[in-house]
Amino acid sequence: MIGRVGASPQRVGGRGRVTGLQHYVADIRLPDILHAKLVTLDCARARIVSIDTSAAERVPGVRLVMTAADLPQPVPRFGPQFQDRPVLAVGETKYHGEPVAAVAADSRDAADEAARLVKVEYEELPAVFTIEGALDPAAPLVQDAAQRPGDNLAATNVLREHLVGWGDVEATQADLVIEHTYEFPMVTHFAIEPHAFMAAPDGDGIAVWSSIQHPNWLQKVLADILGLPLAKVRVHAPDPGGAFGGKQHAKYEPLVALMARRADRPVRLVLTLEETFQAARRASAKIRVRTGFQSDGTFAFQDIAADYLIGAYADIADRVVGKGSYPGCGPYRVPAARITARSILSNTTPSTAFRGFGAPQVNWAVESNIDAGALALGIDRLELRLLNLARLGEAFIPFDTPADGQWEQVVHRAAELIGWGTPLPAGRGRGIAVGIKSGPTTGLSYATVRLLADGSVIVFAGTSDMGQGARTILAQIASDELGAPLDWVTVVMGDTAVVPYDQQTSASRSTVLMGNAVLDACRDIQSKVRAMAARLEGIDPSEIAVEHGVVRLPGREVPIVDVLKPGLGPLGGELIGNGEMRKEGDPGHPLGGSVAFFEFNCTAIEAEVDRETGDIMLVRHVTVSDVGKALNPLQVRMQDEGAAVMGLGHTLMEHYIFDGSGRIRNLGAIDYRIPTSMDLPLELLSDMVENEDGPGPYGSKGMSEGALLCVSAAVAGAVHEATGTVIRDLPLTPERVWRSLQEGGNG
Amino acid sequence: MTTIPIEVTVNGRSRSLQVAPQHTLLDVLRDDLALTGAKECCLVGECGACTVIVDGSTVDSCLMLGVEADGAVVTTIEGLATGGRLTPIQEAFLDEGGVQCGFCIPGQVISAHALLQASAHPSIAEIEEGMAGNLCRCGCYQQITEAILATAEAGRR
Amino acid sequence: MRSFAYSRPATLAQAFKTLESGGSDCRLLAGGTDLIIRLRDGSLQPTIVVDVKRIPELRPVIREEAGRLTIGATTVMSEIAADERVRRHFVALAEAAAVVGAVQIRNRATLGGNICNASPAADTAPALLVYGAQVVAIGSAGSRRIPIRDFFVRSGETTLRRGELVMAIELPLPTQRTGSVHLRRTRRRGHDLASVTLACLVDAAGVTRLAFGSVGPRPVLAVDSSGVLADDAADDDAKGVVLEELFATASPSAGSMRASPEYRRAMLRVLGRRAVGIALDRLAGGGAPG
Repeated sequence: MIGRVGASPQRVGGRGRVTGLQHYVADIRLPDILHAKLVTLDCARARIVSIDTSAAERVPGVRLVMTAADLPQPVPRFGPQFQDRPVLAVGETKYHGEPVAAVAADSRDAADEAARLVKVEYEELPAVFTIEGALDPAAPLVQDAAQRPGDNLAATNVLREHLVGWGDVEATQADLVIEHTYEFPMVTHFAIEPHAFMAAPDGDGIAVWSSIQHPNWLQKVLADILGLPLAKVRVHAPDPGGAFGGKQHAKYEPLVALMARRADRPVRLVLTLEETFQAARRASAKIRVRTGFQSDGTFAFQDIAADYLIGAYADIADRVVGKGSYPGCGPYRVPAARITARSILSNTTPSTAFRGFGAPQVNWAVESNIDAGALALGIDRLELRLLNLARLGEAFIPFDTPADGQWEQVVHRAAELIGWGTPLPAGRGRGIAVGIKSGPTTGLSYATVRLLADGSVIVFAGTSDMGQGARTILAQIASDELGAPLDWVTVVMGDTAVVPYDQQTSASRSTVLMGNAVLDACRDIQSKVRAMAARLEGIDPSEIAVEHGVVRLPGREVPIVDVLKPGLGPLGGELIGNGEMRKEGDPGHPLGGSVAFFEFNCTAIEAEVDRETGDIMLVRHVTVSDVGKALNPLQVRMQDEGAAVMGLGHTLMEHYIFDGSGRIRNLGAIDYRIPTSMDLPLELLSDMVENEDGPGPYGSKGMSEGALLCVSAAVAGAVHEATGTVIRDLPLTPERVWRSLQEGGNG
Repeated sequence: MTTIPIEVTVNGRSRSLQVAPQHTLLDVLRDDLALTGAKECCLVGECGACTVIVDGSTVDSCLMLGVEADGAVVTTIEGLATGGRLTPIQEAFLDEGGVQCGFCIPGQVISAHALLQASAHPSIAEIEEGMAGNLCRCGCYQQITEAILATAEAGRR
Repeated sequence: MRSFAYSRPATLAQAFKTLESGGSDCRLLAGGTDLIIRLRDGSLQPTIVVDVKRIPELRPVIREEAGRLTIGATTVMSEIAADERVRRHFVALAEAAAVVGAVQIRNRATLGGNICNASPAADTAPALLVYGAQVVAIGSAGSRRIPIRDFFVRSGETTLRRGELVMAIELPLPTQRTGSVHLRRTRRRGHDLASVTLACLVDAAGVTRLAFGSVGPRPVLAVDSSGVLADDAADDDAKGVVLEELFATASPSAGSMRASPEYRRAMLRVLGRRAVGIALDRLAGGGAPG
């Protein structure tokens, strides 16, 4: 069956998932493997006095115990923005869970025992783990000033400040000004697959397996640290078992690679779930929003000050802050704006990319503040949003990509599905919110497609398929363009020795960037088929068209394979197509490049609140996204509904709990709650708007983060309408709602 | 390291194994039998990624010692499809979009399979409650419920 | 996990012998849903793990005899929740057993294990308390019956003596009409540990029993013999006064991650009131669950 773009064939690679035969990194068995275990301290910050590895080394089966002293000196540091993170802690641990040593042994039991026997003498140091704590002038510095040469903020815990704006906020007159401060919690990805890493000497190079989203990026990091040419660093990136941004950048691969080299044997490290909470999280934030409204509801200005609490090492967190806050005013016409955003270091898990990339935090604050303005003005919350919503082509961020969708259609559809304006049963409320997120600002994807002699196809694409279904849509594109049945298309991903370069899988870019690269490669093959047909028919290529698997000759059309077989002749062979999609950066742009597309979503909620207990019952959850073209409608629906459920997590139940000295109390699944099947809204409805107005293949846009962006504001809006109580702090746990009702919290 | 001999039937095959007492059934399946379908995630019986069937009931294999499986009959995800043919519930998971990253799916399919064996036409509430011990961070719950309903419906005809 | 020796006695005599020689270095294994977590995190480091599931006297069974329902110590929660006799006579226990973890946990977790683990939040404890259950304990010196209200001491501690095992739990079959219910508070709708867990029983004589857990070091039974709670005509304020007295012994810990003491106390009142209402409805409905 030809996998027509726009159809929803079974997920490519799905069979391996439902039979348990698919191998994730932790399922791969290498001969002679050494099992590694990290040694960490049970405190947030400590000065390492001494490390005694002798007892650990004596455990039978232990082959290696490494500390910073055993690494190349000075200890290598890495990181996508700043090379601040050491391979193992140097002199000081800066967050609860930073490893000070690692052991490797023939068995997991021996590794576990040896890790317990590494004796670290340490002195606990005061830690900062809140925004207030980090900004206190007397606060200890998370990073030594020496690590930040030439940085005029080096004597503070502020890593960077970002400022975006237009117009003159101070000079702008407004009939009503609403100012509030909102807080967004610290949460973690909790992919069901914990991060997993392996490394093995590979001839004069090294082979690495990782659940990484960006194999080529990792390849470069490792090549730099190991002093190897890229061609001698092979990164295998099996499909991650969920990633959501938490597996974008190197975490322990450098350590495992150095251990493999030292031991001259393969080394395997698989994190426990608890260790993943200590390895990756979303930035928490405190955001003060001052919104100016005219009495007719039009926005006068937005003045946003966002403090994001990032971890002890930057990872990609500062980019999250800058890029996430950048469209912070939302998809609206705003005459004057000022957005200041700060990344604030703390002695906590390094925050990294996480679905939404800094936008959900600001969205929570800004959309809630808009609701507050609507309430004060006596204007319907839907009407107020429609009044200010940017229309297609409007430069709502003055110097950037204009509004690239008919967003009002999305809002109308969501309003229709929630029944906005229809009578509400007593005790219920509705909320509605919109969100945008910027797509990639730079990008580069290569694809190679091979059309084999029998018409079957192999696609080489470096995208990571972590559940979003990239493999399927890329196969659909090739199937559609080259006329091969979908089950005659193989997609090869995740091997830097075999698959050409892909910059990264993030920012919902792959449909657009890799999709276009694959399309480009297919078009390359189509032009070769055209030349082949012209030769066979003895006519000019200009008289032939090749599209959607068919060769259109004068007077007739034939499937590509019917030209291919005679065209290849007795020697056989294949046709190889190469494709590339590149988006260049712009050094003058605040984000380093304009946005390739926006993800736009409208979420609407109807809810009931049990006033005695604070329980929120979600009666209906509507989510509508602007997707351009759904290459695979079922996968679009799955991504949007999945993002909606994930958004309910930080809205209703997820948060790290710390003790008084910065230690995480709720590591693991028992006391960190994520939504289960029983926590779904009574009705969860998703829909999409398709105007084929995106830059991706067939008019598609990127999607999969949008439906998470504005869940919180929509839920809080519904809670407010149902109860009169306003809450500006997430998650909306039953206890927090109860407390707000008790205290009469209405702003 | 002392090991204890056990006899266990796994996916229809009788196995004689020497098992360390502190190894869980999950460890035995993955490391001794190379059945890596059941996954390691929370290891505290919350997420269900390690779900298998023991003597007819679903259990979290991370909370069972391997030695406790002596004399037991165990079915893992690898034991469902026979001769390359997927069971109806496996097909339904694919048709209804119940599979994204796939890491939770072996546990989900085993739980769904067991649910349908116990209750041929479960209601949505029964499905959601019966499947609550299988976490999915990709958020496929609605599609998984639809896959179970579709399988039950197809069985009805 | 650290290693240990594994013993699987086939008889009581073998079990007693192992327990006697092993002393405090032994830990009993039934369902494993509490023990294995603690073995993995190192909070328990026994030398010997004694698997009691093959001992015939402890085997999973639910039988009606001599005016009581006897539940074998290793009977699992899913069986208890589904048992028609439990649902008819002891519905609060069925409801409690049905919310211990998720299905996979309920297929392993045993009633004996739940009470011996003695978590203040043990979901079956409030139901056992309102039904006046007896724990049948057996040691090398013989067996004895421990009323459930004398069984729990504090978290992890019961009045079992060293070397004693729980053989069965007996529930006296009701001799009059009753209405009962189990309710609890959790952080989400999906499976969770309770921040308040509560059972209520009202009998035709007008006595109300309320037992609650997770609001103090051990589950507690409180009894209202005044008849006020069971009285349809009594107003909410009057009932509120009685409930306050019954809940006076609650002392939720301040250090919990799951809920604050104020919220727990407030939810105790809310659940208490609701539970009394439901129990009264069930009593009026003929003493059977709806």
